[in-house]
Formats: sequence, structure tokens, C-alpha cells
Amino acid sequence: MSGRGGEAAVVVDGVAVGWDATVIQRDLSFEVRCGEVFGILGGSGSGKSTLLKAMFGLHPLLRGRILLEGDDLAAARGAARGRLLRRFGVMFQSGALLGSLTVLENVRLPLDEFTDLDDAERELVALAKLDQVGLCPAARKLPGELSGGMQKRVAIARAMALDPGILFLDEPSAGLDPITSAEIDALVCALSRGFGITSVIVTHELPSIFAVIDRCVLLDGEAQTIIAEGRPADLRDHSTDPRVLRFFRRETEQGASVP
Amino acid sequence: MPPFPSVELLEDARGAAVVVVRGQLDVESAVRVRRELVAHLAGRALSSLEIDARGLERGDMSGMVILHELRSGVFTQGVRGPVVGLRPELEKLLVAFPSDETLRRVEAGPPELNVAEEVGVATLSVLRDARTQITFLGSVTQAVTDAARNPRRTRFAEALRILDDAGANALPIVSLVSVLTGFVIAFESVQPLARFGAQIFIADTIGIAMARELGPIMTAIVLAGRSGTAFAAELGTMKINEELDALRTMGLDPIRFLVIQRIAATTALTPILTAYSIVAGIAGGAIVMRTIGFSSAAIRNELLSAVRASDVAFGIGKALVFGSLVGAVGCLRGLETGEGERAVGRSATRAVVASIVLIIVVDAIFSVLGYVLRT
Repeated sequence: MSGRGGEAAVVVDGVAVGWDATVIQRDLSFEVRCGEVFGILGGSGSGKSTLLKAMFGLHPLLRGRILLEGDDLAAARGAARGRLLRRFGVMFQSGALLGSLTVLENVRLPLDEFTDLDDAERELVALAKLDQVGLCPAARKLPGELSGGMQKRVAIARAMALDPGILFLDEPSAGLDPITSAEIDALVCALSRGFGITSVIVTHELPSIFAVIDRCVLLDGEAQTIIAEGRPADLRDHSTDPRVLRFFRRETEQGASVP
Repeated sequence: MPPFPSVELLEDARGAAVVVVRGQLDVESAVRVRRELVAHLAGRALSSLEIDARGLERGDMSGMVILHELRSGVFTQGVRGPVVGLRPELEKLLVAFPSDETLRRVEAGPPELNVAEEVGVATLSVLRDARTQITFLGSVTQAVTDAARNPRRTRFAEALRILDDAGANALPIVSLVSVLTGFVIAFESVQPLARFGAQIFIADTIGIAMARELGPIMTAIVLAGRSGTAFAAELGTMKINEELDALRTMGLDPIRFLVIQRIAATTALTPILTAYSIVAGIAGGAIVMRTIGFSSAAIRNELLSAVRASDVAFGIGKALVFGSLVGAVGCLRGLETGEGERAVGRSATRAVVASIVLIIVVDAIFSVLGYVLRT
């Protein structure tokens, strides 16, 4: 596990993301500090998931660079890239568990591939990860037999299999009921506070934002860049930008507040 | 440079052992530490065990599993012992390993079926399949009758789109397959017929084979591969996205709304494509005949005397049946799609396999009927 304190786990430096000729977001620069839960916020279509995918190398950057614990993933090749990939874990929006493998086999997959441990030891580590997300009893089930919330917890366990320093989570509470999504929030908090994992979360769920996120950037689809950065509660209470206030106070364009 | 792991064994006369682990214990070094532990501890009868982890500086879960095994007696013939002096952040990792109690709660996976149960499940699924096929046939017939009565409420635009996609866009591949089939048959016939000096009958072979058999079969198989699978995948995706449920709740029958257009399109298309395929196949054969020295006029005369209008009608009539089969099977498999993303792929596969099998079976029935009716 990496050292922590004030230094940056992720550095985003002058980045532009988009599809081919279409720029969705430009001039993005911010740092994620070690051990914090960092939020990338914004409305639907503002490009926050695209930015997240760019951060862990699934989407090419149009401009700028991104450093993960000091290393540039886009520039890394071969074995160096393989080592870098093992230092972070990703939880996809749908969970992205392999449907033909059991829950335990899904979590074991990175361990089978990247460690020299014994069969029994890999199984034990995978079970420990499942136990951390509270799903040890379901280890032998297929992902299809689990509820959406459980699948996401398994996806978190799989992302954590190799004890990564950074965890990327794409809309962890999307499509879940309030109680389940609060459970996922609590899990992310526990992992971050308990094991010092740096988490980068894409979300637009206000309860989650105020519950787990230490610091955040707010992306705006029209401005095509970051319109606010800081602690979510500070932005809600002290921002003077009407766009920021609308986002954090759930107001419509006309200013009507929807409780 | 990361701290190097080291293992030391301190043992007194009574067999009380202290294992000292120092340095780092992570995914990189775990296997080395285990090797050292086995080397130190194999075959020793210990009376008690203590693990001194004060010198352990760094670690992760994949390393801590070794420590967990050590304290659970895996390397010490079942002698268990406490871990002392572990740093708090590593202690958190070590306590994360599930207890024996938790491991006992792991539920068993799905039970394996015995032979009798598998036979039962397979029989039931065949019966269920037959039932859905009959129901489907009924629903399609009903929908077609409805559509004939209320032509205004039938979406013909959908059928036009499919005609374009399944028909016009299929021309290149039908051309290629048919020309090459005619070409290959002619080529293979040259030598055997040459022994009797009867190469002119290549024209008869090609003409009759393409018109009665290969034209309709090739077209139907191309259609099954291109459009049957497309229908299954399209309707299957709609089912998974709850689009079919949405249609039903709006009072729109998916069969009337989506299926009959597709069946109508493939039924109308196949005869046209087949006629085209027959011509293309004969052209392929004619190329071979020209290269071995026959004149165009000779080839044409031979063809006209060999291939009767009834042969072409027989082929096109078969194509009509094949077309409706391919459309219907594709749609049926699409509507039957189960849960989950992979179900769509399975539906597409089942559609193409079932279509091709049915095409061959129906073709055989046609051949027998044709023979019986002629004699």
C-alpha cells in the first residue's frame, strides 16, 4: 500500500476529453490527494464518466496528461503498463462481473492472473475481500443470482483484489434504492478511512455526495470545463455561482426548488 | 529499494518456537516468504508458536495471507499461535480474513443434475418449445388476418426498411456466393464429362442444379445468416430493454407491430433474390464453358433446351417457403430471448441453426413431393 499524507495520488494536468472531433471537456486540471474520497460531479452528459475512463486509460486524451501515483499511464508500455494497471482498481457502473464465472471466481481473477500464491491462498484472499464487502456467503453463486447492489459490492471486492492504492468508481449508487446505496456509500467510506485507499467517484446523487466525498470538482456540460472545486458542503453553502447552487440545491433552471 | 523480507526461527529446548518475520510481506514477496517458512518449519514438532511481526514494515492482503496461514497452523502441523507486534494498518488487513465460522456459511453453488433430471429438463424444454412454436404460428396467422382487415394500422414503413436491409444490401454476397457456386460446379464437371466428350452438358447441369436446388438454398442460407440472426438479435435486445413490454402495455401486439413486417419482407424478398441467384450461378458456369471453348450461342441453346419453366417455378416456389421460414424463425427466437445480455447471442445462434436445419428438411420434403407428383 502506498504512503499517504498530502501528496497527490492522481494529477490531472490540462486535460481535454471527447470523441474524435467533439470536445466534451477542456482545460481540466486538478489533483486527488492520497487517501481522500474525491468526487467528479456534474449533470448527465457533462462528460464525467468519459473523464473517469480517461483517468484509468480506457479513453484517449485529446490533450494534457494524467499521472497515477506519479506515473503516466498513457506513456507506459509493456511490463511497466502492466505494473501500473495493478496499482488501481475500477468498479464499472453496471458492475461488469463476468456472468459465466461465480462470484468467487470473479474476485479471484486478478489474483490468479497476477500472483504466484497457492490455489488455497488465492481463494482465501478472495474470500477475505468478499467478507470485507459482506458477501462471503454468496461466494459460490453466479452474478446473475445476486441483486444489483450485491453485484456492485462484488465489483468493489474484485477491484480491490490486488490491494490497489486507487479505486475508481463509476456511479456506485446508480439504479439502487436509498438503503442499498447508503450501504455502498458506507462501504466506500470504510475502505477509504480504514485502509487508506484513495477513491475517485463519479456520481450525481446528492445524498452520496454529502455522505462520502471529501473534495470534488463540478463539471458543466455547457461551459465544457470545471466550474467549481472544493468540499461539497462548502460549495453548497458558500458558492456564488448560480450553476453550482442549482446543482447542490436541486433547483431547476427557473429557480424553483424541488424538495 | 523496498525492505527485503526475512524469516527467522527461534526455538527453545521444549519446542516452543518464535517465528520472526521482518521487512515487507506483499504480493511480490509472499511466495519467497512462504518458501522460507516451509524450509524452517517442515517436519518440526513444535509445542507452541508465536509470530513476532514487529519488524514487518509493509504488506498487503496477498502477503498477509501467508501470515494468516502461519498463525492457523498450515506450516506447523496444526500448531496455532498469536501474531504479536503487528503495525495497526497491517493488523487491519490480517483481521479481514474470514473466520472459520464465516467460511462455513459459504453457501453451496447450484446442485449438479443427474442423468434422469437432465433427461427430464431436456424433454420439458422440447415440449415447451413445441408449444411456443404452435402459439407463435397462431399469433402470426391472427396478426396477418388483422393486418389484412386493417391495412391502415399496419406499419409498412418498417417492412420497407427491412426490404432494403435484407434485400438490396444482400445482393453483393448473394452474387459472390452464386457465381462461385456455378463456377465450381462447372469446373468440377469438366473432367468427368470430357471422358464422354459431353462437356456441352455442363450447361444442363448448371442450369438444372441452380434453378431447382442451389439458387433457392444458397439464397435462403445467406438470408438466414444475415437477416435471421439480425431479427433474433434485434427483437432479443428489444425484449431485454423492456421495449416489447412497453409495446404490450400500450396495447400494441409485438407480433403485429414487428413480426409480420419481417416475415412479409423475407417472404417477398427470397423469390427475387433467388431468381437473381439462379442467373448469377448460370453466369458463373458460363464463364467456365467459354474458357473451354464453347460459344455463347451454344451455351444459350443448350440451357434453353435443358431448363424448363417448371424448374424455375419449382425453385422460386421453394424460395417463397424458405423466406417465410427464415423470417419466422428469426423473429420467434428473438421473442423467446431469456434474461441477461448473453441471451441475445444465444438467440441469434439458435435462429441461424434452426433456420438452416429447417431449410434442408423442407427442401428434402419438396424433393420427395416433386418426385411423387411427377410419377
